[in-house]
Amino acid sequence: MFFFTVRRLLSSIVVLFASSLAVFALCVASFDPLAPYRTRQPAPPPEFFANLREQLNLNEPFISRYFSWLGGVLTLDFGESNGGTAVGPQLLGRLGVTARMVIAAMVLAVILAIIVGVLTAVRQYKPEDYFFTFLTYVLIALPTFWFAALLKEFVAIQFNDLVGQQVFYTIGEQSPAIELIGTRSEIFWDRLGHLILPTISLAMLSFAAWSRFQRAAMLDVLNSDYIRLARAKGLQRRRVLVRHGLRNALIPLTTVVALNVGLIMGGAVVTETVFVWHGMGEYLIVSIGRSDLFPVLGWLLVAAFFVILFNLIADLLYAVLDPRIRLN
Amino acid sequence: MTTVEKAADKVAPPQTADPLHEQVEREFTVKARSQREQVFRRFVRNKQAMGGLILFLAILAICWIYPYFYQFGFNDLDATSRSVGPGTNGHVLGTEGLGRDLFANIMRGVQRSTLIILIAVALSLTIGLLVGLLAGYYGGWVDNVLMRLVDLILTVPGLVVLIVVASNFPNLRSATGIALILGLFGWLDLSRILRSQILGLREREFIEAAHALGASDTRIMFKHLVPNMLGSIIVWGTLAAATIVLAEATLTYLGFGVANDTSLGKLVSDGVSAASTRPWLFYYPGLMLVIIALCINLIGDGIRDAFDPSNKRVRA
Repeated sequence: MFFFTVRRLLSSIVVLFASSLAVFALCVASFDPLAPYRTRQPAPPPEFFANLREQLNLNEPFISRYFSWLGGVLTLDFGESNGGTAVGPQLLGRLGVTARMVIAAMVLAVILAIIVGVLTAVRQYKPEDYFFTFLTYVLIALPTFWFAALLKEFVAIQFNDLVGQQVFYTIGEQSPAIELIGTRSEIFWDRLGHLILPTISLAMLSFAAWSRFQRAAMLDVLNSDYIRLARAKGLQRRRVLVRHGLRNALIPLTTVVALNVGLIMGGAVVTETVFVWHGMGEYLIVSIGRSDLFPVLGWLLVAAFFVILFNLIADLLYAVLDPRIRLN
Repeated sequence: MTTVEKAADKVAPPQTADPLHEQVEREFTVKARSQREQVFRRFVRNKQAMGGLILFLAILAICWIYPYFYQFGFNDLDATSRSVGPGTNGHVLGTEGLGRDLFANIMRGVQRSTLIILIAVALSLTIGLLVGLLAGYYGGWVDNVLMRLVDLILTVPGLVVLIVVASNFPNLRSATGIALILGLFGWLDLSRILRSQILGLREREFIEAAHALGASDTRIMFKHLVPNMLGSIIVWGTLAAATIVLAEATLTYLGFGVANDTSLGKLVSDGVSAASTRPWLFYYPGLMLVIIALCINLIGDGIRDAFDPSNKRVRA
């Protein structure tokens, strides 16, 4: 197991470096750091551009630019945006904001998916099964932003009007400047109130697919011989379902959840836009709009890092959970 | 299945002159069905899938034919009724801020979205098929290079890759342009699916036989491998269509999709900003999009169940 872990870790690092090169190539081909100056009226003289190119190292060959960026990243220096602010601290702060939503959504989606998946498998072809199957089909067909707007405009606002008090917040990740004036518990409840709706809309994106997957895995297990044996030797139904059935049926889900991290990060960009969060998603969209090279590079690298990390975790978890996986 | 076929073979040569045979034939009238017929029958008997298919075809028929008879064109500006609700002045579903009829626009949007689906699926199907075939059939370094490339692209969230690429081409903001971008990045999972299937298929006897008969590589790929993977290809194509509809809407909502054109995604994203003041602009395009994506998913799952009745494979 130890050597397996080390080998996987090393290969993940190699993939991360390859990915950073690919990301760099994509961004350098996409964004022109001089773009904001090109549209200026009156047009700046050519010497200005020549100076700027020299200043930003744009005259150097691609590979040396890549390595100078990579060298910076390895010392946690992600470069500067067009406006001159450092990218690293920005990314870190915004990552904290987005992580709240992503982690909450993943936890919620996994719990719901397991409950609904197991329920629909155990009660296969019963009314509950049909109801949840229909629900998941509809959820799979919903665009995230439309569902989020639906929640925001018609559920949250009307509920708030009904109660006469702001229960669900629909804008921002927290009330403005609450971290300066509020006590610790006030900050907590304020952020929680802001978190609910984005989390639900982000979680529904994955919940539907995962619950279908969990249902299939559970059915697969329930129809296997060892479950029949467990029942035949007189174990309680509940014990068979949980100890023998569910434990085995959870293994495939871990992989799927870990592999869908990229999808959720993409979804978070959308949810953040709908709920006007000042997180990673906003940073990406704004930076792309300004064709700002280093923020986008940093964003993509962070995303790639998490996707590769979760792939690694999935591999290792699978090996731990399923002893049949050959480690060599 | 095999027993049915055997029985059919025995009965097959009908000798009407022989009274004994006639009796046997009447007693066991068993018709041999080809693989294709079986798949087709299974699909037709699937209520959800057939319901989805009929609804989808009905929507398409209405959206392509009815505009010729409807009194408003999708680009007509009705100055007398701007932002009016459903049913006012003959506007069945109301109008938006410039006085354009919503129903006519939804029909136009469905037309454009069908075009997006067709282009994007055709493009990604071609690329995915070629990459999958090359990687799976030739193996070795070709396989390594292609699959590592796919792995590499998959390390970055797909939506973000689409955004970055789309931001490069501000001139491609029409339905066809977005379809091209979606198609260019939609083939990754298909190539993986096909590659893993080919790895199993290429060791089988019929491929060996084709080799021994001197069939060329292209012949083996397209005459022997592709027909054997037709089920997965069709299923992938259907489910990808639903993904593309949703991806187009999301991309448009974030501001990197369709801009100078009508599409279902454009209408839905425009509707979001009007949700509280003019809810009809929010509801109807969104509902249309959900119904279309739902129908396509039902059809796709129906086809998958028809090809693989053991019903074990699940999308995730």
